[in-house]
Amino acid sequence: MPIGNAQPSVRPVQAGRGGGAAAGSSAHRGGARSRRAGGGSRAERLAPYVLVAPAALIIVVLRLYPLLLGVNFSFTGDGEQNGVAVGFDNYRELFEDSLFRTALGNVGLLVLLLPVAVAIPGLLATFIYLRVPGHRFYRSVYFFPAVLSPVIVGAIFNLLLAYDGPLNAVLGSVGVAPVDWLGDPDLAMFMVVGVHIWATFGMALVVFLAGFATLDSSLLDAARVDGASLPQVLWHVIIPSLARTIQFVFVTTMIGMLTSMFGLLFVMTSGGPEGSTYLPEYYIWIQQGQMNRPALASAASTILFVIMLVVGMLQIKLLERAGRDN
Amino acid sequence: MSRVRPGRWVVAIPMSLLALATIYPLLFTVNVAMKTRRDYILDRFSLTDALRWENLGTAWNSVGMGRYFANSLFVVTSSVVLLLLLGSMAGFALSQLRFRGSSALFLGCLAGLFVPFQVIMVPLARLMADTALIDTYPGLVLVYVAQFLPFTVFLMTSYYRGIPPEIVDAARIDGNSVYGVYRRIMLPLGTPALLSVGILNALFCWNDVLMSLVMMPSADHRTLMVGVTSLRGQYSDDIPTFASGVLIAAIPVLVVYLFLQRQIADGVAAGSTKG
Repeated sequence: MPIGNAQPSVRPVQAGRGGGAAAGSSAHRGGARSRRAGGGSRAERLAPYVLVAPAALIIVVLRLYPLLLGVNFSFTGDGEQNGVAVGFDNYRELFEDSLFRTALGNVGLLVLLLPVAVAIPGLLATFIYLRVPGHRFYRSVYFFPAVLSPVIVGAIFNLLLAYDGPLNAVLGSVGVAPVDWLGDPDLAMFMVVGVHIWATFGMALVVFLAGFATLDSSLLDAARVDGASLPQVLWHVIIPSLARTIQFVFVTTMIGMLTSMFGLLFVMTSGGPEGSTYLPEYYIWIQQGQMNRPALASAASTILFVIMLVVGMLQIKLLERAGRDN
Repeated sequence: MSRVRPGRWVVAIPMSLLALATIYPLLFTVNVAMKTRRDYILDRFSLTDALRWENLGTAWNSVGMGRYFANSLFVVTSSVVLLLLLGSMAGFALSQLRFRGSSALFLGCLAGLFVPFQVIMVPLARLMADTALIDTYPGLVLVYVAQFLPFTVFLMTSYYRGIPPEIVDAARIDGNSVYGVYRRIMLPLGTPALLSVGILNALFCWNDVLMSLVMMPSADHRTLMVGVTSLRGQYSDDIPTFASGVLIAAIPVLVVYLFLQRQIADGVAAGSTKG
């Protein structure tokens, strides 16, 4: 779904373009541009660089360079040993720290819950695409929490889930004992992840709907004529045709779980109860900001980065294989 | 088939319940914000008997929310203006101009997409401290710009790729410099994309809590979202005022959503389909 409508649907045939087609996915098209030879003055030749330089500089200096710095930093000491090379000491310490192990365990939990976080918006998008009555209303209601800050979402659910809060009041009225939703180490992480899914499924829904916009509707019509049931249509038509979108949603949902739950954790549980709701990002922040252990935090950052790379690669591989089997 | 298909209801009921579950938490918060403390303690759910806007006033005045609000507004506005300017300049050059190294530069910009803030938090804070930018507004603006620029460059580049190169050529023959083409042709043509990506960036910056928490240690530099996190401690026994504070922070986003829902969704969709 392009933004706006700058694209004429029919391109005029262009003279003097080698092959005419765009050269793959490179940043500029193939074929000779009708720039007058020499391209004018030196200032003109430098113009593209002047236009790109500010963005490129900021990205290199404030994103890519710090990545290298951080990895480098993770092999040095903290405090007394500031700047001294300590080899893998930080990493050893990380894996001996039960809080960090909990954080990694919670990442495992997120991976297990990932299919749920993808299936919910996927199914809902299917129904909306199939034009259930009120589909426009559903679409805008579902998308709404996605624009709220995690801090606001967390604060609202702190109210709802409080021990003396409304949810327990409802349960009490039907004779169920109050549950300490955010104070029970076995429950708290599930609650936070649940709230995260509640708050973000609208984003994935919109992505799915964008994928549906590219779906060939004649396939659906054919399936209907053949008398296929909805589950059959889902399995044989929709899932194979949307393989790329599903892959994209899987990866972005996972990255979202690994890098955008800080606000919720900070507001809802602060890592508690008993450290049960730690995730790597929260651990990094605690070590850097509260414990004054920047090098240890850097080691945790490096591990988080590796996890993200591995998760991304694995999912792409798995889904490619699934796509081939279909 | 003329008979009613049961499938309809099987879908409609869960979807309606889910819609209710999506919207109820906010309605509950609005309702609580209007109640008196006594009312809330007696009954969590009863509809408020009056619209008590004074709770909002209490929250606004007592926690310094006005100050935080102004901080957020200033930082977010500056960040978005810079993002759109730098993103559209780079997007135009990377999509419409041919020059040596453009592919490498494009890939370099994209690489930034795969580096989340958490991974570079420590070295970035250190860089900011070394350059005396930590705890300053320009510092936070720079951090936001660096965070969302890869996405902005990516979107603007893919949008500008859809503009026929003949337009640029014609403008050049008319005697425009490259900069002239950017200012007179590309900026106006880019309006729909700039609007979408601008709103999206504004939301991201407005909603951020981690970056401003790390980069703005001192209390009077706090952004609104960091301010909201401190409401809880202050009003643990005064839930209506707490809810009012939360509501104040949510109102700008609600308003933006009501009017610009379309553009937000388009921005998200464009980010996914062009990949």
